[in-house]
Amino acid sequence: MMLRNVFVKSLWDQKRSLVWWCLGIGLMIIITMLFYPSIREMTELNEIFATDENPLMKVFVGDITDITSPEGFVNSQLLIFMVPLLYLVFAIGIGSGSIAGEEEKGTLDFLLAHPLTRESVIVQKFLAMNFAVAWIGVFAWASLVIGAAIVDMEIGYSRLAAATFSGVLLGITYGGIAFLFGAAFGKRSLSIGITGALGIGGYLLNVLGPIVGWLEPFTKISPFYYYSSSDPLANGLDWSHMAVLLVVILLMGGMAILSFRRRDLAVG
Amino acid sequence: MDSVISIRNLTKNYGKNVAIQGINLDVMRGEIFGYLGPNGSGKTTTIRTLLDFIRPTKGVVSVLGLDSRADSAQIRKRIGYLPGDIALYEKMTGRQLLKYIDGLRGGLDWNFVIQLAERFEANIDQPIRTLSRGNKQKIGLIQAFMHAPELVIMDEPTNGLDPLMQQEFYRLVEETNKKGATIFISSHIVPEIERLCSKVGIIRKGELVAVEEVEKLKEKALRKITFVFDMPISKEEFESLPGVIDVEVEGTALKCTIKGPVDALVKAASWHKVIKIISDDGNLEEIFLDFYAG
Repeated sequence: MMLRNVFVKSLWDQKRSLVWWCLGIGLMIIITMLFYPSIREMTELNEIFATDENPLMKVFVGDITDITSPEGFVNSQLLIFMVPLLYLVFAIGIGSGSIAGEEEKGTLDFLLAHPLTRESVIVQKFLAMNFAVAWIGVFAWASLVIGAAIVDMEIGYSRLAAATFSGVLLGITYGGIAFLFGAAFGKRSLSIGITGALGIGGYLLNVLGPIVGWLEPFTKISPFYYYSSSDPLANGLDWSHMAVLLVVILLMGGMAILSFRRRDLAVG
Repeated sequence: MDSVISIRNLTKNYGKNVAIQGINLDVMRGEIFGYLGPNGSGKTTTIRTLLDFIRPTKGVVSVLGLDSRADSAQIRKRIGYLPGDIALYEKMTGRQLLKYIDGLRGGLDWNFVIQLAERFEANIDQPIRTLSRGNKQKIGLIQAFMHAPELVIMDEPTNGLDPLMQQEFYRLVEETNKKGATIFISSHIVPEIERLCSKVGIIRKGELVAVEEVEKLKEKALRKITFVFDMPISKEEFESLPGVIDVEVEGTALKCTIKGPVDALVKAASWHKVIKIISDDGNLEEIFLDFYAG
């Protein structure tokens, strides 16, 4: 394979990790989907979820009233918690290491000894991160489609694609935050720490908001709100919500360029 | 002669720490310039400013007549750089890495790359993580020379190389220089600078304390001279001579250290019958140590 530029090289670096993540996320999705036939028959489950007796449960399965429907099942078992968690972990891992990882290893000096502008390095690495998360998303979507076909679930491929797209944007949003902190400070663990905390905070804010009254107005600062509140699986994409995530992503990339081009680089 | 590297009043602070201070330096086209100083004296800081990895607190740097900050990518297109303590992409093989740079630089003479690899007996088909320190350094050297740059900047280039490869490296530097390239080498190894360089800058605690041609510097060196006469002589006769220090007399032998011209000493000695003269060459190491002692 010809590595002609930083974009391709960055993906090449991730090739093993990409394979394992695709396999892992794919298996997790398909195995979860295999449980659908047994859940489908248990309509009494809906009554349990319908009551407000156990509000904390909603933290992990969402505000679900109908777990036996295809949308209810996929949302509660996969899309509320597990799948976005995996996107986030993957994206934060790549984003935090894009610049800071190279800087800590000392390879950034080597790379920038050649005629590349810092802007070009940022743009190519940022695009590579976007591409990698989208790649995982494609596998997740394919696994959802395959899983649905196996258990004969009535759900549109395009709706699964809409929900996946929304999840990929959520992942890239957090990947972008991690990328920015890595580019601005050159420290990978700092970037993971901050972004991880923002991820947990964003998640909790979004799920607790509807339950805890005074939090409600703040849910809109959580990226998770734009990921799931419009329920893309049931309703298709809400483009105004996607636009918010896209703007945040662009902002992170832009700020990464600004902060990276003005600072000193650390020696390995 | 035009100035290939021009540093004006360069200062770099890290918080309250002064890394380098008020450095003024010109490296002329065609020179092999040695930047000599102990570890932590500010050599790497200076070099990383040339490459625009770090930005000056004060001062202006230009390389090949271009501004080190605004025109950095253009500068880096025309120079070769070997970082000190080089870190390479460990997962790649040397060949993959060099091909990657070929891609970044847009088309190199690949035959020349292979020639360099053969010359240094570099193993370019094994993953870099499996290579020893010296073998990684070879890959670093190849990438610094492979595009036939106008200026090669190297930070501690012989780090990890065995003596045979050091010689090969010296030859490569001299050949490249004969073809017109300017060479800038930082090192803490005096004999290396003495062997290679036409001019040397000595840096101490972030300040440039001397910039001089190696030959001229040697003339200023402290030399140890021993005269053996046919009969015992007195110490006083020689002690007051200009430049003479540390006079010792043992029977018919006079041992002393002299700084600068030896003329007066030789003339004083010629009053006696001289049997033997032992003189060491002024060597840079002593000058270097002298600068650091003082």
